[in-house]
Amino acid sequence: MSFTGIRRTGVVLAALGLLGLGLVYYLSFFWVSTEASQGIVQRIFYVHPPAAWTTFVAFGIAALTSAMYLWLRDERLDWAAQSAAEGGMVFGTIMLTTGPLWGRIAWGTYWTWEPRLTLTLLLWFIFLGYFMVRSSTENPDQGKRFSAVVAIMGSMLIPFIHLSVIWFRSLHPQPVVIKAEGPSLPGDMLTLLLTSLGVFLVLFTGLFMLRYALEGARHELQLRARRAAD
Amino acid sequence: MSLYLRQVGVIVWKDLLLELRTRERFAAMGAFAVLAGVLFNFSTDTSLVRPQDIAAGLIWMTLVFDGLLGVGRTFHMESEDGALQGLLMSPAPKDAIFLGKTISNFALLFVVALLVLGVFMLFFGLEIGSSPLALLLALGLGSLGFVALGTLFSAVSAGTRMGETVLPILVFPLLVPMVIYGAGATGRLLAGRPVAEVAGNLRMLGAFALVALAAGAALFRFVVED
Repeated sequence: MSFTGIRRTGVVLAALGLLGLGLVYYLSFFWVSTEASQGIVQRIFYVHPPAAWTTFVAFGIAALTSAMYLWLRDERLDWAAQSAAEGGMVFGTIMLTTGPLWGRIAWGTYWTWEPRLTLTLLLWFIFLGYFMVRSSTENPDQGKRFSAVVAIMGSMLIPFIHLSVIWFRSLHPQPVVIKAEGPSLPGDMLTLLLTSLGVFLVLFTGLFMLRYALEGARHELQLRARRAAD
Repeated sequence: MSLYLRQVGVIVWKDLLLELRTRERFAAMGAFAVLAGVLFNFSTDTSLVRPQDIAAGLIWMTLVFDGLLGVGRTFHMESEDGALQGLLMSPAPKDAIFLGKTISNFALLFVVALLVLGVFMLFFGLEIGSSPLALLLALGLGSLGFVALGTLFSAVSAGTRMGETVLPILVFPLLVPMVIYGAGATGRLLAGRPVAEVAGNLRMLGAFALVALAAGAALFRFVVED
């Protein structure tokens, strides 16, 4: 696909994602039934887990494309890694702001050292480091390699970090969707949750493609400027 | 294989000799350890908490900060007079350079870790606990994992404009397992609990150090290539 094609698809997907987000908000306020024990605040559920899953997908893509970049040295892999990491930061920030708001009401505390909270916070900081080394190198190629190393090292040590923080007892609810006995959520809640996940992924893919096309356009501009100067 | 080990050995020897002659990093790190112990003593209200309850955590935090201070300068002296280029152009493979640097950093940090332990035992009136050997093992394995990460990322930070400022942001999130298992083991051992109770911690510290070493050795070449 050409860059123009990628950009067009990105615009369409991002617009669809934003429209879908409106739909998700409408459905979660006016359509889905209110949860019995937590009441109205539980509606943040239709934003928080989808944001979290999208974050993990984004950081997974970033780590994978970073490793492939170091191996194949194709610029496009680095654009993909950077675009995915930026998307991951955005959705990670959504997750890290909606989580404490929900936790304050549901658990009575903004923050707790629960394994998944700790993991996502640390993941967010690993990718903050990713962007810091990237933007503070004189030589862009060096920045690409440095940030790829940060992403790979982070993804390799994530299992350790997770194992170690599980040492602290867990307050976070156990999985309600993906488990052996099948989902234990009521039908309408599950429908909305999965709709919201789909919307978040479409929005992420749209932003990802837009960002990727922007990086490609920037690259092309540099090439043309260099050719014009010669 | 023996050539590889000799290349690693030469780099370790060169670094340790340099450190022995200048004593630059050791002096700074040693002074830091003692002064951190002094400040931690004044920051603790002993009418509220017993020193031995928080000593293990303070020991590990001192080790982390002190380690960053020293390990962050791994490539400093060499890059200042261009010797790093020479080292990288030498026929030694990049991972041999990484392992050599990591081992010499480890030797330095382990000595500092012993000093930190001694300082806190003295200032906080701690007993050596149930097993000095297991305590040394915990400090040793923790230091090894730390220097593996620290050496890799000090090469990264040396290449950025921000220098050592960016190092904690890169290293701290990854150090969580080391602090949890290390401080956990140290606290229990200092409290006189049996070694069997911390065997799991020691195994995890060892596994963490191994993964950090292997990943560091594999990724180092991408950091220093030009």
